[in-house]
Amino acid sequence: MARQRKALYEGMYIVSATLSDESRKKAFDKILDGITQKGGEIQKMFELGRKKFAYEIDKRREGYYYVLFFEAPTAIISELWKEYHLHEDLIRFMTTRTEKVLESLDFKPLKQQQV
Amino acid sequence: MQPKKQFSSSQNSDRQGSSNQDAASAMPFVKRRKNCPFELAKVDGIDYKDTETLKQFITERGKILPRRITGVSYYYQKVLKQAIKRARHMALLPFVADE
Repeated sequence: MARQRKALYEGMYIVSATLSDESRKKAFDKILDGITQKGGEIQKMFELGRKKFAYEIDKRREGYYYVLFFEAPTAIISELWKEYHLHEDLIRFMTTRTEKVLESLDFKPLKQQQV
Repeated sequence: MQPKKQFSSSQNSDRQGSSNQDAASAMPFVKRRKNCPFELAKVDGIDYKDTETLKQFITERGKILPRRITGVSYYYQKVLKQAIKRARHMALLPFVADE
């Protein structure tokens, strides 16, 4: 009961791109604080920057993407989700379990070995 | 009757002749060589953020291509499906693309 299970997670967050740099940072800090306050630990942070959506979300055409790798107790994830749904500037989020922390987000293309 | 028989027998001999040349092409069920692009590249997992790779396995409309066309193995098609669906949720790939 007392033992907390911890797991490595990867979170992707889309923050509204209409915000100014400062308020966007503030909005994202709120996400970071939410994780650390509940006993999570940020391992790596990527800022993918402004990206166009493949489809419209709430009349918005683009958003600001962040990717986080963090270790957290498994129980807090559902709490975080509740929090995220109340977050106004967070357009969309996704947290998934991962095996390892990626060092870079550049991917190698598949080798073309067609006969 | 007579010419028909002749025709079939000549066909048979033809087939035999070709099978002598290259047995594989005449066999009714040839085992296809494995050519799953993910197995060839020896990837470990497919990342949903890797949209350039994922785009090769969807149509212009945004639909996931069947593996009989792409040659992806049964295992990796399932991994690929999950990755594409995650990418769609994060608006990296379209659910339905305009033509």
